[in-house]
Amino acid sequence: MNRKSWHLPRRTFLRGVGASLSLPFFECMGDDLKKSPQPKRFCAIYFPYGVSLPRKNKGKENPESKWQWFPDTEGRDFQFNESLKCLEPLRKHVSILGGLSHPNGRKIGGHDTADIFLTAAELKGGQLKNSVSLDQLLAAKLGNETRFRSLSLSVDGGVGEATRSSTLSFSRNGSPIPALHHPRLVYKRLFGKEDKSIDSKRREIKNSDHMLDLVLEHSKSVRRKLGKQDQEKFDEYLQSVRQIEQRVERSEKWLDIPKPQVDISGLHLDADDKTPGELIKTMLDLMFLAIQSDSTRFLTYQMGNMNGATSIATKFPSLLGFGKNQHSLAHGWNKPGGAEALGKWDRFRAEQLTYFLHRLRNTPENEGTLLDHTIILYGSSNSTTHNNTNYPLVVAGGDKLGLKHGAYHRFGSEVPLSNLFVTMANRLGMSGSKFLDSTNELTEIIS
Amino acid sequence: MPASALATINFEKQVKPILKKRCFKCHGEKKQKGDLRLDTLSQNLSKDRVAAETWHDVRDVLNLSEMPPKEEDPLPSAELKILTSWITQEIDALLAAQKSTDGRIVLRRLNKTDYQNTMRDLLGIELDYAKNLPPETLSEDGFRNNGETLQMSDLQLEYYLESARKGLAKAIVTGPQPRFFKKQFTTSVNDKNRGGNILNKDQQFIAKLIDYPEDGEILIRAKVRAQFAEGRGYPQLRAAIGYRADVQAPRGFINPVDITSEDWQTIEFRARIENFPLPSKTQSKFPGLLLWLDNAYDEGRDKPIKARGKGKKQKAQKGSLTYPQIEVASMEFIGPIFDDWPPTYHQAILFPSSQRSNEEAYSKVVLRNFMSRAFRRPIRDEEIVPYYRFFKSARQRVGNFEEAIRETLAMVLISPDFLFLVEPSGSSKRSITDWELASRLSYFLWSSMPDTRLFNLAEKGTLSIPEVLEKEISRMISDKRSWQFIEQFAGQWLDVGALQRVAINPNYYPKFDSALKASMRGETIHFFAELFQKNLSALNILDSNFTMLDESLAKHYGLTGPKGSRFERVSIKPGQHRGGILAHGSFLLGNSTGEDSHPVKRAVWIRERLLDDAPAPPPPDVPALDSTNPNFATLSVRDQLAVHRKQVSCNECHRNIDPWGISLENFGADGLWRNQILRKKVKGKGMFKLPVLSEATLPDGKKVEGIAGLKKYLVENRPNQFARAFVTKLLTYALGRGLELVDERSVDELTLKFIESEYRIKDLIHLVVASKTFQSK
Repeated sequence: MNRKSWHLPRRTFLRGVGASLSLPFFECMGDDLKKSPQPKRFCAIYFPYGVSLPRKNKGKENPESKWQWFPDTEGRDFQFNESLKCLEPLRKHVSILGGLSHPNGRKIGGHDTADIFLTAAELKGGQLKNSVSLDQLLAAKLGNETRFRSLSLSVDGGVGEATRSSTLSFSRNGSPIPALHHPRLVYKRLFGKEDKSIDSKRREIKNSDHMLDLVLEHSKSVRRKLGKQDQEKFDEYLQSVRQIEQRVERSEKWLDIPKPQVDISGLHLDADDKTPGELIKTMLDLMFLAIQSDSTRFLTYQMGNMNGATSIATKFPSLLGFGKNQHSLAHGWNKPGGAEALGKWDRFRAEQLTYFLHRLRNTPENEGTLLDHTIILYGSSNSTTHNNTNYPLVVAGGDKLGLKHGAYHRFGSEVPLSNLFVTMANRLGMSGSKFLDSTNELTEIIS
Repeated sequence: MPASALATINFEKQVKPILKKRCFKCHGEKKQKGDLRLDTLSQNLSKDRVAAETWHDVRDVLNLSEMPPKEEDPLPSAELKILTSWITQEIDALLAAQKSTDGRIVLRRLNKTDYQNTMRDLLGIELDYAKNLPPETLSEDGFRNNGETLQMSDLQLEYYLESARKGLAKAIVTGPQPRFFKKQFTTSVNDKNRGGNILNKDQQFIAKLIDYPEDGEILIRAKVRAQFAEGRGYPQLRAAIGYRADVQAPRGFINPVDITSEDWQTIEFRARIENFPLPSKTQSKFPGLLLWLDNAYDEGRDKPIKARGKGKKQKAQKGSLTYPQIEVASMEFIGPIFDDWPPTYHQAILFPSSQRSNEEAYSKVVLRNFMSRAFRRPIRDEEIVPYYRFFKSARQRVGNFEEAIRETLAMVLISPDFLFLVEPSGSSKRSITDWELASRLSYFLWSSMPDTRLFNLAEKGTLSIPEVLEKEISRMISDKRSWQFIEQFAGQWLDVGALQRVAINPNYYPKFDSALKASMRGETIHFFAELFQKNLSALNILDSNFTMLDESLAKHYGLTGPKGSRFERVSIKPGQHRGGILAHGSFLLGNSTGEDSHPVKRAVWIRERLLDDAPAPPPPDVPALDSTNPNFATLSVRDQLAVHRKQVSCNECHRNIDPWGISLENFGADGLWRNQILRKKVKGKGMFKLPVLSEATLPDGKKVEGIAGLKKYLVENRPNQFARAFVTKLLTYALGRGLELVDERSVDELTLKFIESEYRIKDLIHLVVASKTFQSK
């Protein structure tokens, strides 16, 4: 290992809990890929069906009330109840937000709101058209500096069906962006070694570029022969071709920069729905590695959707020993013993978040840590199941981006959740932005 | 009666008088409480979108008994029903009109299954082409081949291109024939005492190859004999290929084979080596390829994770005498195997030709030939132009002819004409061409592209002649590719996938082995296959005197069945509670909570899948089952539902749902017969038991007792409704689109003929293909 130190100024070898990697040495590659001095990132993690919200009985102690997801008192002196207690060590890096929801979400079915968690849209018409999600809006504007503009993950993968989408990400024209769900595939995209030489890869990219041009041209002539209905469907294809063309151009720019190397020991890349504990942890590890290696700055992860009928995540709690499936736990929270049963599942999910946040906080970056420069939104679009108000939300990180944490805030129903989106977007580098139905910023969490 | 045949409700005569009496006082001319005025609200929902939304809200508050308010007289249930039914009827009509494509098939992308099969048939190589594609969206009718719901995205396209390149790199070869390997092993490597020539629960035959091929078809040939064990089925020989890594041994398995004789015999396993995890050339810690032979009997079961806090380990059963064993005399590894060099599949694309030396002329015929098969139709000269243009430029970039052709063909494989079933259309409906018919047929029955014979008939223009078509359908059904239809259609229609969404709770069913889920899936698929292939009556689905079982499922059900992993027909005697789909584990477990039955889910399944009469989804913010009663948790689900139905608003829907499921209460989540229901105590530890009560009153007032009563009722009282439902589902699948109002007639006619043919499934396939609906665009 005889390397001149000035040549690799930032070469760091980092070892984390599950995996480690060496950072790619962007600075010394000296091409046109200019990097901002400090990456700013956004990551959304969603879980379905809401949480356990047992009330304190007046006068009488309700033993189940400790499973109330929200803290009992507002402000900086709040106490975590059982479900979120694991966040205590991270207390000064998190805000708990209560009372927020998307006004448009209040108009639709109780299980229909996962689709709009990041879009705030009103699903309209027979086609249930959505609009752009926060991560994609940010990625379109700010995602130019990384190998991947954004990364969308979910437990079920693909796009699912409208109102039961299995992705949180929607493009600027409102079409769902398929989420990846096999850890190995995510790994291969982000870190997998190319088995081809750079020269043959370059030829391949040139070919792809030319090929797509011609396919697009040819497709336009196909389109003319189609009926009106078919044309609408066909436009999805045309748009995909255009998008992939841009992707190809981007990959050409990145061709000479090797993908970051990560040590995969400790990662369960073949974990699937039969081993949910490993699956969720591995996905979070991959997200951490994606952030750490600056492969992308905009990430979403849907830890299950509200399609009890088809989601493979429905059975996760039963497989992990929480007794019931996800939907039954959620529906049973106000039955005897139900608040505790769901509360324990709430706690398990919060532990996953905590694990992820710890990894970010334990990794130094510039003057701070990865967590300081990454805003994480964690939550659901139901308070309790079916209920489309008062989303349980945690906002974490971004301390050095201008967010202020360490308190529990409650808002009235006149405050749309989009206000939080704008607050985060502005801290991430969008300026004076408005998001759909937003009215203002949430000054409570601005430092 | 199916919902569509119910008499429509008249607004002026039936609805308005009720509104006048009950609602206008507060929501009429004088007062508009909550800003709502009903007397002037438009009844034309399709014209007035806001009115439609308002009526929708009205239905919800009525269903939730929020209106009329407590001070007013409650709405009698007959009036409530008229109001809500009218709104439902109008909303349904509106939705149908919005979605209508005038009964035309929407441009349909090949789904994952279609794509995998088509790539295999087109390139002639069995590779995993669809592995990285995102999962498909399920349509509202529960199918994965609906053109409208199948989406396209850049990610998807990226993986199509990657897959095409990978496949073509194999399909078009260069250079001399790769080195051939052949090696025989007679003794196993001793690996931590797990290696040996006798295969039982613990021992495997392990061989190591330092030199091995990385490409192409290989053959593993094993000389073995069985040693049976008293009371046990056949041992199953399974082969695996992989390597040793630091932590675990990644390997891929080849489907096991039952060893049904104690005499020496030779078993062959064929596979493409690149479908298996191969050691990386650079890792040197554990070099070499590992081959395994093992005994899959009762193996590979992923036991459900024990509930927390209970760490009792089961004693490992050492290979006892009662375990059926396999003795291995030798194992041979042979490969790569090519039928010719270049292989036939290569020659199918780059065929010998007198024009070979003229690169322009040759590449054009190669393209024409490949495009015609890929696009499933004849190719006009001008269509070749862009592809040839690309070839020329690629030829300059890449070194050799083959590589340039590979890239050009990859371009063919991301073209819309390949990825979609493109059917040009004008302003009016037209009959489809013979080429289009060939594709519709093959994607219906094979989930793949047409074969040479279908192409030839299309070219001759004779495929649509009824006699020719009849013969072709019969041929296609007897072809083994029709297994695709069986798996796809039956699997999706009967929602066999539900099995994967439910995890059995081991506290309730400690003996349940989750490997049984595969057998349960097998039962349903093979049962449908038996009806289809033998052209039996579809009424067997409602009740039958047989089912299809393998050894483990027969044991689970407590029946005497076959000895191996093959599914065989097993007769059912009346007292055994089996027969018909309602006694299949796939349905019973898939529609359970994993702890107990789920009568509502089972009921909805019956109405949706067997009767095509899906109940309306619950209104938003529906209250959960009443929990104010402290004894609630001690009630059986049947009694809990009875409490639920006491609320008028719930009762309106649930009295038509619950009874269907209650009659199946004798089956637990594990699909087994029970007389008692196991329940966890609310306070303290332990379980208690409740008796099963399976008597139910169906919506039409008929009382039925248990599964026997329900099956009898369905066969006697609902055969026509079932027939119509079956026709609807089959037609939906065959067309790859949701049915619409304009299809009603076609469904009625088909149903009539289907009933006349005594509900024979094969006959119905012929009828569907012959129908105008199937043959027009």
